[in-house]
Amino acid sequence: MGGGRSRIVGVGMHVPDHVVTNADLTLRMETTDEWVQQRTGIRERHHITEDTGAADLGAVAARQALAQAGLRAEDVDLILFATLSPDYDFPASACVLQRLLGVRGAPAIDVKNQCSGFVYGLAVADAFLRTGRARTVLLVGGEVHSTGIDLTTRGRDVGVIFGDGAGAVVLVAEPDSGRGILSTHLHAEGKYAEKLCLESAASRTRPRLSEEVFAGSSPAIFPRMDGRYVFKHAVTRFTEVILEALTANGLTPRDIDLLIPHQANLRISQLVAMGLELPEEKMFNNIERYGNTTAASIPIALCEALEAGKVRPGDVVCLAAFGAGFTWASALIRW
Amino acid sequence: MGYALPHRRVDNEALAAELGIASGEIEERTGVRSRYYAAEGEGPSDLAKRATAVALAEAGGSPADLDLVIFATMTPDFTFPGSACFLQDKLGCGTTGALDVRAQCAGFLFALEIAHGLLEAGGHRRILVAAGDVHSSGLDFTAAAADVTPLFGDGAAAAVVDAAGEGLLGSVLRTDASALESFWCEYPASRRFPLRFVPADLEARNHFPRIDRERVERDGLEKIVEGVEEVLSQAGLSKQDVNRYVLHHVFPGIAERAARKLGVAERTSYGGRDEAHVASASLPIALCRAREEGLVSSGDLVCLATAGAGVNWGASLVRL
Repeated sequence: MGGGRSRIVGVGMHVPDHVVTNADLTLRMETTDEWVQQRTGIRERHHITEDTGAADLGAVAARQALAQAGLRAEDVDLILFATLSPDYDFPASACVLQRLLGVRGAPAIDVKNQCSGFVYGLAVADAFLRTGRARTVLLVGGEVHSTGIDLTTRGRDVGVIFGDGAGAVVLVAEPDSGRGILSTHLHAEGKYAEKLCLESAASRTRPRLSEEVFAGSSPAIFPRMDGRYVFKHAVTRFTEVILEALTANGLTPRDIDLLIPHQANLRISQLVAMGLELPEEKMFNNIERYGNTTAASIPIALCEALEAGKVRPGDVVCLAAFGAGFTWASALIRW
Repeated sequence: MGYALPHRRVDNEALAAELGIASGEIEERTGVRSRYYAAEGEGPSDLAKRATAVALAEAGGSPADLDLVIFATMTPDFTFPGSACFLQDKLGCGTTGALDVRAQCAGFLFALEIAHGLLEAGGHRRILVAAGDVHSSGLDFTAAAADVTPLFGDGAAAAVVDAAGEGLLGSVLRTDASALESFWCEYPASRRFPLRFVPADLEARNHFPRIDRERVERDGLEKIVEGVEEVLSQAGLSKQDVNRYVLHHVFPGIAERAARKLGVAERTSYGGRDEAHVASASLPIALCRAREEGLVSSGDLVCLATAGAGVNWGASLVRL
């Protein structure tokens, strides 16, 4: 299949039923609906209400994506699961997902790249398909954040942002017809690793889990974020990596039919679009309903954009992400 | 290629004393003679940085020439971001991409395949494949874990992979998760409502790895043999075409039985008896050691195979 292209032929998404509004959060922490909306654009998010893993959410999304592609789980020869909140300490959620789908044999691995996880996963999927290493790849982004965030006033800066959910895509290799993934671009800057992180369980700390991880004003068992820092870098890097993808394909921002940014914060997305002089209708956002679902946000948004008829065959779709690491990435797709 | 082990070597006598069990029991029950433990504050990315320095010295060039860092680990420095980000920073790689993969014991083989896929697809010229685990900070040091804790050690390895090299001739990567609880660590478990980890979990000790030995041994033997046979048949090679086999399993005896079953024991190197199970880094560490001992050299065809938690297993053919 050398010289071929990889193309997304099925998408799916799933979020837990339970909706948590900003007003609901005010019962658990000192915050206001206005404060959260103004800073993030988020109105509500979904949280699990019983034992449910990223793989459980991912399995529902994956079945939808496979059905849409007209394929069976048996046809998949690589399972990639992008998550920073795996079901268990180990093995990977990709393994859990494989069992939920009732298949065995295909390699199943997790990609842990935080908010950029889906785009990094897409780069891996694309490489496997274009070089004939796989014919059908299932790529899932899934997260259950709600069991690992501090939903009290102490943790509100992070707690209000994250939501649970999963999105899935099925990709296949095809002879090059100009459609499919045009290119992917991956970056990181580890010197900012601690600007947005979840320390525990940290293998570099001995023992990695003890009473201490629950202690202090910013317990190591919960994520911490330097919000202003992340915001500033996000706007710069989002813009940069979108332009990098366009330039690599001889295109300009005017050629974008739809930009689907990782749903980190509506204010970030708006500033990026403004910088690229991209009209509002050429960017898809749904953070107001799901919060930030990290690795799941792009496939969930892609799924909704397709359902809403915002993507037509031949369109140039740009996916871009920035998040913890810092890592950032983009993918340009001719739909 | 290069590898790095922590400076502190822990032999069975010292470990037995810590676990409160009889000295001599450990080797008899596990086949492991010693292991290396990281220091306080030393994570997989620190060990991988040392391994990378060795690998880059051999390959020539500097961290600035890398256009992607891939890190395979099941025991990351932090829950997030991934260890590739920490390593990328420690190497001073600017804004080079950093990808973390979790494939447990077969992590190095999965990461190597991803690197070759990306190189062949174009867009990348030189990728660092790092693998490293620090298990010792997450083990149960009581007699209750006398059959599990001695099996694990810390370490890292790194390989610089170029687009130009012949490198990887073939690989077989597989997962069968039907018995994933046979070798796992359940907590922290994001899937548990309402909190993935609470103080009571410390008391219950279910944040330590668990192994169903009988099942893991049976699966390991079967999958390592299957992987080697499949990768050879896929490449149209016979067992004799391979200069050296490097096999690894969490129970060293299983890798040795697999080699005998394959009829290649006289040409096989193993990970595990001296540095215990380092998971993702075990295979490349064993390969580096075989090279140090003069058992393999440039131009040799090497077959690497392992099976571990997941169950994830794999076999790869590498031209050195």
